[in-house]
Amino acid sequence: MDVFLQLIITGVMVGSIYALVALGWTLIYKSSGVLNLAMGELTLIGAYVSFTFYQWGFPFPLALLATLVIGALLGLLTERLFLQPLIGEPTLTVIMVTVGLSFFFRAVVALIFGTDTLVFTPAVFPSEPIRWGAVVVGQVYVWSFLAAIAMLLIFVAFFRYTRWGLSIQATADDEMAALSLGISAKFVYAIAWAIAFMAAGVGGTLLGNINGINISVGYLGLLVLPAVVLGGLNSIPGAIVGGITIGVLQNLAGGYLDNLTILGVRLIPGGVKDIFPFVVMTVLLWFKPYGLWGWVRIERV
Amino acid sequence: MSVMRLPSGVYHETYVQDHAWWQTRFVWVRMLILFLLLFVGIPGLGNLYIVSVANIVGYTILSALGVQLLIGFAGQVTLGHAAFIAVGAYTSAIAMLQFNIPYPVSLILAALFAGVWSVLFGLPSARVKGFYLIMTTMAAQFITVDFVIAQYVSRIGGRGHYFSLPPGTISVGPWVIDSELSTYYLMLILVIGSILFMGNLLRTRIGRAWIAIRDNDIAAEVLGVNIVRYKLLAYFVAGVLAGLAGAFWITSLYFVSPEHFQWSWSLWLVGVILIGGVGSIYGVIYGAMFMTLVPEALKALLFLLTQSPELVALFPFIPQLLDKFLFVKEATFGLAIVLFLLYEPKGLAYRWWQIKNYIHLWPFSY
Repeated sequence: MDVFLQLIITGVMVGSIYALVALGWTLIYKSSGVLNLAMGELTLIGAYVSFTFYQWGFPFPLALLATLVIGALLGLLTERLFLQPLIGEPTLTVIMVTVGLSFFFRAVVALIFGTDTLVFTPAVFPSEPIRWGAVVVGQVYVWSFLAAIAMLLIFVAFFRYTRWGLSIQATADDEMAALSLGISAKFVYAIAWAIAFMAAGVGGTLLGNINGINISVGYLGLLVLPAVVLGGLNSIPGAIVGGITIGVLQNLAGGYLDNLTILGVRLIPGGVKDIFPFVVMTVLLWFKPYGLWGWVRIERV
Repeated sequence: MSVMRLPSGVYHETYVQDHAWWQTRFVWVRMLILFLLLFVGIPGLGNLYIVSVANIVGYTILSALGVQLLIGFAGQVTLGHAAFIAVGAYTSAIAMLQFNIPYPVSLILAALFAGVWSVLFGLPSARVKGFYLIMTTMAAQFITVDFVIAQYVSRIGGRGHYFSLPPGTISVGPWVIDSELSTYYLMLILVIGSILFMGNLLRTRIGRAWIAIRDNDIAAEVLGVNIVRYKLLAYFVAGVLAGLAGAFWITSLYFVSPEHFQWSWSLWLVGVILIGGVGSIYGVIYGAMFMTLVPEALKALLFLLTQSPELVALFPFIPQLLDKFLFVKEATFGLAIVLFLLYEPKGLAYRWWQIKNYIHLWPFSY
């Protein structure tokens, strides 16, 4: 039972980071209909940018703030240069542009920073773990969880109470109506990309604090895809729940399935943690093709 | 230049005539020259580097044909095609190593098995479209390569991380495939065979059904095309072609490892057909050539640059670029896809067609 609790708690904490990145992804999809496969690389860029600032001697909160600013700028730039000319193109075209961007970003990051794992030194968070009864959780996880939750709250408040946030919601709901009310769609797309880059940057930084930074942070960013599918593509609460669920499921699978032995035979030799989210997603798509909270589209010829 | 077109006043009267491949004497001559060049010219140069590059082009063509069939002709999506290539490669290798099955038979087994595996992951296409389908094909990649093959299949026979094939294992009857040159001839046979097969398939009822599904699947269903069956058939044929590609791959390296079939290779193949041109068999060839020859040229250029000490002193990062050429290649690829989609969305095949038309109609281009 302790192990179970431990796995659940760690899962929720890592899952909150996925939720943050998934939120950025859903935002882009909701407002502009772009299915972004470069999300993993956005987390990668965020991780390396904050790492660079931290190595230059910035205190961590300031480094995080700088990451947010640079992320927003990069987001605006990417949207303007690559995505805006593609408004109205077929789905596969837009997806492949984001795939092209992901190759490009990853390769550039690898050329600049190399492929070795980098660790934040000195460590940002104290290494002393926190104990609740039998459950032991590293402080990195707790702080990441708190930071992710804070970011999520900020974003939700932004959508609810600011003019820009409301205009994003309006565009996502009905683009035509939003346009006729004087909301600039281009402006909304630009903000959506800026926010996605910012969310991914924070997510990447937190993940980098947990495991160290290397190219595979990009792969962790890819895990948001099962998360958003689980939640239904166009639901922000769905993305948050989906992200946390994927984190928990991944941990449980790693904890219980990885060394599962039945009658002395090791059923699964290992590596189940990385692919389990995708298994869940495939099975889910067989039974509920539009996710848990997604819109069912009715098509006409 | 009217040699490539029928003379004025000659019309096609039947569907068969209209779809004939080699309609004029000029096309015959052109194809003859092409075949001579492929079978005699390139090996006749005696340059093994050129032959090995040609082998990579051939492997890319074989791999991308199935992707073209799914995306370009059947309107489905696949971002996990490397998984089926991997299934083909491993089936063939295991058949030869564990069961001593001769290579040609293992080739057929590989094709069939990859086809069935591909249908398994094509099943959701009956229910979902667009992004959700993309996600299932992605899942096919991770489940097949990173889990089933890396964790289970690689352990068969206790060979450790990768399967290596002893020299002389791969042979077609008395013809042992043990050099770049013999691999090249095998590649030519497979590539030409697959292209003929796919081209002919597209001229039949099956091909027309696929194209109808691609253009509008609901309309196709209304017209009486059984879309589930034809979609699954498309996945099967694409899997078969991928299996052939995989079984060919083991002849060129004599070993297989899960690392050869990563997700990036799946994406690379989609990039190949986007750059070449979606919905065209020529597109596969042009795309494969572009994506193989451009990085090779870039590598040669970088190598030339490192040879001059002044330049290296001026730009000290050039030798590093050569060291990490893999990433330069990936960056080039990513940028190429983005730029092609932005500025040449119909691909090289369309551009070539336009150039040809311009020459045909010159000087009266109206």
